[in-house]
Amino acid sequence: MDSHYEVEFTVRGDDFLAAGEASNQIKETLIMLGVPSAISRRASVITYEAEMNLVIHSGGGTLRAVITPEKLTIQATDRGPGIPDLHLAMREGFSTAPDRVREMGFGAGMGLPNIKRNSDNLEIESEVGKGTTLTATILFHEGPGDRR
Amino acid sequence: METGIKIIEGSCKGCVNCIKSCPTEALRVVDGKVRILSDLCIDCGECLRSCREKALALDEDDWDLIRSHGPATLMADPTFCAQFSHYWTPGLVRKALASLGIKDLFDETARAFDLAAFATARQIEEASKESLPLISIYCPAVVRLIQVRFPELLHRLVETETPLETGTLLWRKETGSDEGVILVTPCSAKVMLVRGPVGREKSTMGHVVSVKRLARDLLAAGPKVDGAALDPVGSRWLAWALRGGESRHIKAFSKKNITTMAVSGLRNTIDLLQDLELGRLKGVDFVECRVCDLGCIGGIGNAESRFLSELRLSRQPIEWVATEREKADLADLYETGIWKLEQPIQPRPRPSLADTLDEAMKKLKTMQAVYAELPHIDCGACGRPSCRALAEDVVRGEGEITDCVFKLRERISVLGEEITALSGKLPHAFHERKHAK
Repeated sequence: MDSHYEVEFTVRGDDFLAAGEASNQIKETLIMLGVPSAISRRASVITYEAEMNLVIHSGGGTLRAVITPEKLTIQATDRGPGIPDLHLAMREGFSTAPDRVREMGFGAGMGLPNIKRNSDNLEIESEVGKGTTLTATILFHEGPGDRR
Repeated sequence: METGIKIIEGSCKGCVNCIKSCPTEALRVVDGKVRILSDLCIDCGECLRSCREKALALDEDDWDLIRSHGPATLMADPTFCAQFSHYWTPGLVRKALASLGIKDLFDETARAFDLAAFATARQIEEASKESLPLISIYCPAVVRLIQVRFPELLHRLVETETPLETGTLLWRKETGSDEGVILVTPCSAKVMLVRGPVGREKSTMGHVVSVKRLARDLLAAGPKVDGAALDPVGSRWLAWALRGGESRHIKAFSKKNITTMAVSGLRNTIDLLQDLELGRLKGVDFVECRVCDLGCIGGIGNAESRFLSELRLSRQPIEWVATEREKADLADLYETGIWKLEQPIQPRPRPSLADTLDEAMKKLKTMQAVYAELPHIDCGACGRPSCRALAEDVVRGEGEITDCVFKLRERISVLGEEITALSGKLPHAFHERKHAK
């Protein structure tokens, strides 16, 4: 069956007050759908970190969650500066966040590693000067639909 | 499922003040009366504060009835000792209660709170770095909030039973008594320690009465109590009435230097749990949350102003260092495991929209469609706290879209226009007769 559910949010750059709202709503959606809490917990981490990356680095973009009976896909798209060295960006503690962001307690260089740790598959397409698209997937191994 | 809150139907005017105050959207107004969705209720007591008609109350037992059955034994919450200007130490409160023929369990309580702090300190010391911070279970509303909204954090709750229960158990063990014990509660959340405890099958306390109700009796009788020859009662447990007291107690009994964080108030609690859920509290070992302002003294079931209670507590002489004898006693009690929760605490997630993901996705789409039609001003006139909640109730089959006054008006206006249009369409024969006249 090709049934799916999709939510999309626009995330504004540098809006630290609203940061976390999109991930919160995605979590609420997963709870309503009866997705097991272990999966929604991983999804929360991914969406939150992806949302923070949009806020800190990209000047804004969109966050999308697509749910099908097999998997959950979280996609963050922006037209920001792009990531010059992906290998370096994936390293724990590596950060290009400006000092003013670090002073707020963000930008510790754990975002991408955290996303990687919590997803079953992670793809990042990035071009310097053009933007970045991050696609993280969580598979519903047992299928949440069969839960009860 | 039960809650710690009682609805007094006769007083409820069906206004919607309370439904807006509920942090878990657990209230609805149906047929002009408020209803509690007990699946979602965390017993925090916010609705009691918002009700002007006094239609919501603590679900406590009838103190006069209990008294008429003879002598009473109290398990008093620490806030009880912060209610009176005349009886400002546990020793004085004890004398005042005794003059009314009421027995306290202050000594067992003091030991049980020491034991809880001691046991929690051991759990923090033994925990792996990833499983820190641990979370206090002392505020039952916080435990329920975690069960309902933050099930991912359940494994961080300490395994320590509330010392109010442990104190009663200690007393029963030592005296062999099966006499009834009455919990004196400062809030609706602790009513549930007796009515429907979490982490154990059944409480060993039989009844529950509010601090306010008992304080009123004591103040009305106003027994004269002299400060001479008072029993020495431990006072560390009193600190738990204030935000941060539990953390202070645990630190005093900890072998390592630990970092704790203490917040009070519902909003602060939710914010902190969100931070914790997102893994932002690295380096913190223990988190103490209380849903009431300033801690338990801010509970809705107290008699005294929380500010005066705070002042009084700050003046209590508290000896934080335990004596060698106390330490030996605690180490022995720790080994018995009497301080432990009987059962693991289970999640209490809100039911999903449907049993299968497929069906749930369909319903969620319908819900979004219903929501899109609503005015989004969250007026509450439909008896739900928000337009979202109405949309959800509609797809769950617990409401109609015309429960919304704006949608109802729209439908009436459409219907009105149809009636006008229809009334203009008089039968041809009737026109002719009119002309004939």
